[in-house]
Amino acid sequence: MTLTSAEPLRATSRRGGFARSPAADRLTRFAVIAVTVLALIYILLPVYWMVKSSFQTSFDIRAQPPHWIPREITFQAYKDMGYIIPIWRYILNSIYVSAAAALLATLIGASAAYVLARFRFPLMTLFLVMILATQLIPPITRAFPIYSAIQAAGLLNSYTGIIIAYAGFSLPFSVMLLRGYFMNNCPPDLEEAALVDGCTYFSAFWRIILPISLPGLAAVTIFTFLNAWNDFLWASLLLSQGEMKTVQVGIGDFSAEGGGGRYINLVMAACVTATIPALIMFLFVQRWLVSGLTAGSVK
Amino acid sequence: MATISLRNVRKKYGGFLAVPDLSLEVQHGEFVILVGPSGCGKSTLLRMLAGLESVTGGEIAIDGEVVNDRMPRQRDIAMVFQSYALYPHMTVAQNMGFSLKLDGRSKAEIAERVQEAAEILALDKLLDRKPAQLSGGQRQRVAMGRSIVRDPKVFLFDEPLSNLDAKLRVQMRAEIKSLHNRLKTTIVYVTHDQVEAMTMADRIVVMNAGQIEQVGTPLELYDRPRSRFVAEFLGSPAMNMLPGTLGGEGGATALRMEDGTTVPIPGVGIEAPAGREVVMGVRPENLSLARGGEGVEAVIDVVEPTGSHTLLIGRIGPHAVTCEIAGRVPVASGSRVRLAADPAALHFFDGESGARIEVRPLVAAE
Repeated sequence: MTLTSAEPLRATSRRGGFARSPAADRLTRFAVIAVTVLALIYILLPVYWMVKSSFQTSFDIRAQPPHWIPREITFQAYKDMGYIIPIWRYILNSIYVSAAAALLATLIGASAAYVLARFRFPLMTLFLVMILATQLIPPITRAFPIYSAIQAAGLLNSYTGIIIAYAGFSLPFSVMLLRGYFMNNCPPDLEEAALVDGCTYFSAFWRIILPISLPGLAAVTIFTFLNAWNDFLWASLLLSQGEMKTVQVGIGDFSAEGGGGRYINLVMAACVTATIPALIMFLFVQRWLVSGLTAGSVK
Repeated sequence: MATISLRNVRKKYGGFLAVPDLSLEVQHGEFVILVGPSGCGKSTLLRMLAGLESVTGGEIAIDGEVVNDRMPRQRDIAMVFQSYALYPHMTVAQNMGFSLKLDGRSKAEIAERVQEAAEILALDKLLDRKPAQLSGGQRQRVAMGRSIVRDPKVFLFDEPLSNLDAKLRVQMRAEIKSLHNRLKTTIVYVTHDQVEAMTMADRIVVMNAGQIEQVGTPLELYDRPRSRFVAEFLGSPAMNMLPGTLGGEGGATALRMEDGTTVPIPGVGIEAPAGREVVMGVRPENLSLARGGEGVEAVIDVVEPTGSHTLLIGRIGPHAVTCEIAGRVPVASGSRVRLAADPAALHFFDGESGARIEVRPLVAAE
């Protein structure tokens, strides 16, 4: 049988039982595209302004009316940046604390999540509620207690202090995300097979569960890394000493101390440079953000 | 090879008693199949044997050693899971050699034993593939290969064929049986498929509500089921069950159903008084078309020719009945026929408890 008219075909493509005219379909498509474009402009405009400004002179940036397209492109800000702001030192600091916090949050988060996903024990529901409840507290209200705790531990102005703080902030999210991941994507049969094969609970977790949970682990790693990388509040509270500053605090301090006026193009160049490691980190880890690693394991 | 002893084993989940009190002995090299409906406790029992579930009470011994408190890895068992449970990030060879690697065996020994097992299971050309690149049957073989490389004391199979299609299931059934003949390792196998149980087992353990209904060879259970549950569970098509009241003097001679239909029971005496509520069971293949006024009238609703046999599905009185006749018979749907059975093939069960009631031939009385 062949279709001789477009009518039956259109009838089968209806959704929800309502027939839509081609004009209504076009209008919907246009509205979706328009909203998407507006959202993109809203998100990308500051980024464009930052990148554009980094290739201008300070004088050109401050021109009125503003120049949306630079009249002259210069790399001078990138050449001078390293002499005026210790940007590379700040970036290394940020890489170190963000990577360490991401590793710590992923390891602790995965271990805790595995226990909460697989074992039943008294007060487990209370644990889960408490973990969720931490997400309801505004970060600023935690500032004083956390500052006091880090100070009491003698970890103020130390990498260890800020790494512990960052990992701690990400842990509730990491635990809940990975718990869900383990429950939905890691069949218990795999661990049981590993136990029968000769594993302990820990080695089953280490050798079987972790390797097949890379998408979940990658999500947690990226989340913690980017949170730590982008943080300004905690880094300025806990790690404000000159050479140890993270890149956000370093650029912020330089800008606040007057550099933001005279050297606005340098600040913008430093900001562009500061986004690159985070971008590389995302590109490196995102290849693990794929599903299907457990394909073929069961059934 | 090893013996297995389950002595008064109990399993409780909170307030639910999954296995009330179960005892069973499995001999060296025996192929024992636990069979029963879903939720009867057969998988729980297997998991307790594997060490994947704790035991609430009683003792489990493998080769005379009580293993209640031992971890699965300390029991020298291998298990094939219903879901195969292959490690997805490892190749077939790595999956099969994983237990040997954990055991600290040398690379050369692992490679040799994996190769040996792979040849037995026709997996030698698939050793470098990942589980996702295998078909269902191949995955099932890898799961078995992972078990046999270890040369364990006991193999445990938890419904290993239930995810395969019908054709592959028949093939794998034969392969598992031939594997057992070759290795002679003690096997405990769980299934809800009575055909698997009948065709593969040395002994079948029929379970119901956490308890053993009957243990015996497949034909013992088929020919002399101890209860109505066992009788109905084993055999396909299932045994026909006709409830009624015994009639006649000095050993029953007829079964009277609630609608007044009377089924004559010639040639056997039943060790039960007249007037007792019973259920008469007869297997479909033991029914035949009767001539003249013999047997009992049945209305045939559906005729199913299978080629070698013909299934007549209908009713005797108000009760459904299936009759399996060798070859082809000229019976049409909707027709009335008379069905008769060899008296020796009749089974009787108590109407209330479902327990078997013994029958004796009335040859002397004739």
